[in-house]
Amino acid sequence: MNANETESRTQQIKQFALDAGADVVGIADPRAWDEHVPEGHRPYDILPGAQSVVVVGSRGPTSGAWRSPNHRVIEVNGYDFRNDAAIHRVADMIELEFDHQAIQAPGLPTGGHLPPLSMMLSAVLAGLGTRSLAANIILNPKYGLLYYSACITTLEFEYDSMLKQDVCPHHMCIQSYHRFGKTPCMAACPSDEGGCLDGAIDADGHIEYSYYDRERCVSRAMNFGINSFQKALAQIVAEENTERQSAMIHSDFFSRSCSAITHYKESVAQCFECMRVCPIGRSERKLQ
Amino acid sequence: MTSQSQIDFAAAKSELAAVAQKSGALVSGVADADAFDAAPEGRRPADILPKAKSVFVIGGAPPRAGDWQSPNYQHMEVTSTGDRMQTLALKMARIIEDRFAYYAVCVPAGVDLGQQPFMSIGMAADLAGCGSKSLAGPVLHSEYGFMYYGAIITTMPLPGDKPLDPAACPAPECVRMYAAEGTTPCVDTCPAKAGGCLDGKIEDGRFTDRQYDAARCATRVQNYWVPGFQKVLGATLQEPDADKQKMMLFSSMFSRTLWSMTYSNISQGQCAECMRVCPVGQDYRTKK
Repeated sequence: MNANETESRTQQIKQFALDAGADVVGIADPRAWDEHVPEGHRPYDILPGAQSVVVVGSRGPTSGAWRSPNHRVIEVNGYDFRNDAAIHRVADMIELEFDHQAIQAPGLPTGGHLPPLSMMLSAVLAGLGTRSLAANIILNPKYGLLYYSACITTLEFEYDSMLKQDVCPHHMCIQSYHRFGKTPCMAACPSDEGGCLDGAIDADGHIEYSYYDRERCVSRAMNFGINSFQKALAQIVAEENTERQSAMIHSDFFSRSCSAITHYKESVAQCFECMRVCPIGRSERKLQ
Repeated sequence: MTSQSQIDFAAAKSELAAVAQKSGALVSGVADADAFDAAPEGRRPADILPKAKSVFVIGGAPPRAGDWQSPNYQHMEVTSTGDRMQTLALKMARIIEDRFAYYAVCVPAGVDLGQQPFMSIGMAADLAGCGSKSLAGPVLHSEYGFMYYGAIITTMPLPGDKPLDPAACPAPECVRMYAAEGTTPCVDTCPAKAGGCLDGKIEDGRFTDRQYDAARCATRVQNYWVPGFQKVLGATLQEPDADKQKMMLFSSMFSRTLWSMTYSNISQGQCAECMRVCPVGQDYRTKK
């Protein structure tokens, strides 16, 4: 394969992804997954002969949504799936223009709570971000929180390097940690006070360890969705008093749970507090 | 991104209108954020976005002329296109932020606590001159009639528009019909006095004493969505006969309810009869 052709094609697909609505784009080598995930969860387990993984990221809530004093606005308005739309267009282009196979990488759980391909790992390996103290969310150096999608293809592109410098902790957070013993995200949701996060920053300013109580986080970040629907349904089925059962079925809580399932794309999460206080990407969110 | 000192807000409004139109909106307009006096506290633009100055409204994606002509009324139940305006509103919010550096929030189409809307998009459309309230309920545009709306609250001081004058409803045909028969097409098709949802008068060419039975309407318009699901679930759980209970779970009614929820974007409403007989926008939906 001609190196110039590969370089040119890489620039072309990256610009195409940005034009299709992505805010960032990177490309990873499928073999980079080998040292991180078990068999069955590598790109070439999903598309035999995979040569590249194109990863795109897009911002979720608008800057205005982050500023709303009604926190429920962001709960039902946080995410427009632009990354999915962009990655489908990328896959279409690769198949139609370059005559190679391309698929959207499956990022939702298909067994247990594990997706076939981790979008978080994809973003890291494509050089788009690094893991953070805040629930392991992958933070991009420019935008902070992004939503990611990936395309696995048999077409070879130039690969991006992983970021050499950790995005998290931000220098402000290092100062905060050394002064108060907590970063903004840990202070917003401290595990020792009923929250989800804990961690430590070493003398060199790197994450020494991080703790994330996923089960507790789910119970807060997904009050209204599949989880709450299942929880409420179990209680409804077990309720022996028919009048009370009827009241539970028609309650605001159950109605919102049903609505969250039906409007899943507008309401996948109801807690953004660790991200709300994160300084990374804040300059991008500061407008008039 | 345009420097704020350079922004010509009238030109910016025209640019946004052009983008909206190119993306599928039939109409757009601007409401002054301070004009929502009639909205309850907590449901006004500044309650959602502090320092809000304007609400940019888009409207479009009405049922097509062919949709209204189909003799199979169930066709339109499952082919609604209302989601297009919400998607476009999210896109417009992002454009306002990226292009002009002002905060923008897309008003969620979903509901807040107590099944109440975050902000009345209908009121925004009315104030922005994108349509006017009707005797039947929906906001109607003089030329296009019934359509779907989206609204974006922004701190950008766009020049405001005025409400439609004359209002789209009542149409001259309806005024004449009321004078002759004491009813209008919409009230006649769903009269509250005969088990329907609507009632009202026309005086001096304007509708007055409007009555709309929202609860009754919901039981007819949303047969197969969340309310339908809750109703069937309650009935099923309270059924003592196991065979009958199983039959209810696999019934056409319950299956359609689940389809309606999973495909909520295209199947939330199952009654459009008051709009079917409405003469407003009739020319627009008349084709060969």
